[in-house]
Amino acid sequence: MNEHNSPTRTPINPLSERILRWISGSGRGQAFGRLLSRLIALPQLRRLTASEIPWTPLVRPISEATVAIVTTSGVHLRGDKPFHLHSDSSFRVIPRDTKAADLTITHQAYDRTDALRDINLVFPLERLRELEAEGVIGRVADEHFGFGLSGSAKALLAPGRTVGRRLADAHVDLVLLVPA
Amino acid sequence: MTTVALALVKEVADAARAPRMLYLHWPFGHALGEPGNVAQQRTILHDMLSMARAASRPGLVIELPYRWRRETYPPIVDWTADSVAAVSVPPD
Repeated sequence: MNEHNSPTRTPINPLSERILRWISGSGRGQAFGRLLSRLIALPQLRRLTASEIPWTPLVRPISEATVAIVTTSGVHLRGDKPFHLHSDSSFRVIPRDTKAADLTITHQAYDRTDALRDINLVFPLERLRELEAEGVIGRVADEHFGFGLSGSAKALLAPGRTVGRRLADAHVDLVLLVPA
Repeated sequence: MTTVALALVKEVADAARAPRMLYLHWPFGHALGEPGNVAQQRTILHDMLSMARAASRPGLVIELPYRWRRETYPPIVDWTADSVAAVSVPPD
């Protein structure tokens, strides 16, 4: 893939970049990454999750459903304000016809090398458009949503509700949540 | 709205108490797989769509059986048929 159809990345500290490559590229690195993720996320999730798990069954066949993606991989439009690298709970809107070359990844907690070669690894919008063309899904939603790295699960609650409202107002039936 | 989430850390998937979760033991930054492997990415999307329509109860975390870089992914022939991997209910 050449630079004209690839996404770009917001630069991060070169040492962090090397550590992230180690985390992604080796078994020990991956185990270390998972440990970090557990240490940061688990206490917060245990505090914040409700006892009741929400449940909304799909109301129409997949072939008639409107589908949207919410990703926490730091993907946003190249022209939009980048996420704050250390922690950011805001979101960016990504329109349905966005090309890979119009996207940027701003995130400092995973190795973005492969996602820059193929953005579908963290934001499968091209795949979703293909499924729409094939009639597998009903429609690709007009708006999709990108979040960056956030150290605070609590800070994500309000923007998460805002995104949920916007998706509901757009009559989205199914949301695919894709992590970094 | 119906939601299906992918997760790359099992304990986090369990603690999130989300309605429907598919867990993959794959590296960060690769929730849909390897770059350029369209069949693999479509397999994961088929799994997500299958779980969306067929999950039997809230809070299921299903571990997908795909080993990292050691699988071949046949094309999905019938998208209206559910993925067996994504709808098999784990024991409690």
